[in-house]
Amino acid sequence: MPSNKLLPLAEAVRRYTWDGMQYASGAALPVGSDAIAFGRELVRQKRRDLHAIFHCNTQQLNLLAGAGAVSKAECGFSGLEVFGFANGLRRAVESGQLALEDYSNLAMAVRLLGGAMNWPFVPATVNIGSDIQDRSAFAPDEYPAKHKIPTVTDPFSGREIGAFSPLKPDLAAIHVSLADPLGNAIMLGTEWSRFELSRAARKVILIADAIVDTDCMRQFPNLVRIPDIIVEAVVYHPFAAWPQSSPGLYDVDEAHMKLMNKALATEQGTADYVRDFVDSYGDIDGYLDLIGRDNIARLSDSATSFLLDPFRQWIKTPEEIAALTAEVAA
Amino acid sequence: MSENLPYSRQEMMAIATGRELHDGELAIFGVGLSMLAGYFAQACHAPNIRAMTEGGVYGATPVGGLPWGIECNRISANATSFTNAIDAIGFLVASGRCDVGIIGAAQVDKFGNVNTTGIWEGEIGDRYRLPKTRLTGAGGANDIACGAGRVVIMVTHEAKRFADKVSYISSPGYLEGGNARERYGFVGKGPSAIITTLGILRPDPVSKEFILEAYYAFSSVEEILANTGWDLKVSPSVHVVPEPTAEELAALRRVDQTGALRKA
Repeated sequence: MPSNKLLPLAEAVRRYTWDGMQYASGAALPVGSDAIAFGRELVRQKRRDLHAIFHCNTQQLNLLAGAGAVSKAECGFSGLEVFGFANGLRRAVESGQLALEDYSNLAMAVRLLGGAMNWPFVPATVNIGSDIQDRSAFAPDEYPAKHKIPTVTDPFSGREIGAFSPLKPDLAAIHVSLADPLGNAIMLGTEWSRFELSRAARKVILIADAIVDTDCMRQFPNLVRIPDIIVEAVVYHPFAAWPQSSPGLYDVDEAHMKLMNKALATEQGTADYVRDFVDSYGDIDGYLDLIGRDNIARLSDSATSFLLDPFRQWIKTPEEIAALTAEVAA
Repeated sequence: MSENLPYSRQEMMAIATGRELHDGELAIFGVGLSMLAGYFAQACHAPNIRAMTEGGVYGATPVGGLPWGIECNRISANATSFTNAIDAIGFLVASGRCDVGIIGAAQVDKFGNVNTTGIWEGEIGDRYRLPKTRLTGAGGANDIACGAGRVVIMVTHEAKRFADKVSYISSPGYLEGGNARERYGFVGKGPSAIITTLGILRPDPVSKEFILEAYYAFSSVEEILANTGWDLKVSPSVHVVPEPTAEELAALRRVDQTGALRKA
């Protein structure tokens, strides 16, 4: 029985991902918590033909799509909130390289719930009556689309309603603020649909900004919405959501959000971005140097840093985490 | 025209939208302009509005300027509850508990149907094909359009955005008009207003076609008709919207601390 599940990022990607798989992100938001570091590693290891399940687009999907790693995607929102259109995703869709199947945000959340519950379908009270129901990028010749949100009869009222297909991605890489080495996790900020995703996915890997002692989880068990019993591996990766934000830990990096999205607008810009910000670092220290130590200090001085205060006493040092990770490898 | 006004067209649109919200209501806003309009209402005339985001941020007063998104630190610093998407847009919106939502549009038609998914050349036709320009998709706007008690649509007033029929319905308004929404059993009643950079449109109670109800001090009926892509009907009681008061502008700019909307 292993005493902990800590794995280096590169090893987690090697062990748990493959070309053509259904890959889900942290079910996160375009400006919020997402395991973007995991997506960078997917690009580093040149994964291809991914079927991406992203509740919302994030800079991770934008990068994966721009770099040509994704052939199919399903999501509820494909922009970058105030940062505008997601240029990498947009370029892949407009060129026909990636088929993007549209749903709404609630649809994605309830489809994950359906997968988690092993339901055959989920009744649809949204997306019906719109072109989201009628048009399918995965079945372009069907109009109106027959198999995307088909009509079923409510056995109680006899009324015709829509039905969503449940989602069960092969793997979910979920960003969390705090995890212990066993895989118990606390998310500061909103969950979005990370709770449902963690139950819907066939395998779950946590990407944590900080590692804490299990005593922390015993102090706040109500806040542990992802328990170790459903988690395969834990990856320690500070600033894992950069350039997006992680409430309690760091703010959105406005300049890099813009730089990254601008780069992803063209093939050449994407190649340069991958060279400079994906392939350029060897380890976590190198990654943090890339973000910039001054920048890190500035982003960490966040209006929400008080959210982390109750948990600080249990945060493990990089040296303690390295020792625990070595224990798993041994 | 607006050159000499002490406020921008976008600010006028945000204030006119904020005026649609009432104290005590449960309200949901998306990112950007709709969030500005919503938090303006809270800062100005509706202090007890119960504001929420799609991600499940409740009770927040944004700090440091307009939030970057529905979960960023600017909106997470003062929240009294964080939950999740199923809670916010499911338990509170799809259930019918939410009084009002504000959504944006890239394109809107005469029945208040909103397109935020893509722009196609001509009719899409009977098979799905690639858009000329891919937009952001529905996000939570479809869920708000189906479930919120009423919906206010905000959009820049340009002929290309005001189509007789949108090329893709991302979020339903009144569909083909009349009672078309009833077929789907939506708990929300549909859009109550389209508020633009030039004026305010409201639906005819029976046909549900949007008609021009009001224009701003800096716009005119003629300018609005020239910038609408369908044969827009004008209400017999069409009138000028009151200009922003000093208090309203001050409240709006407390929310838009960084002045994102003053340059427009």
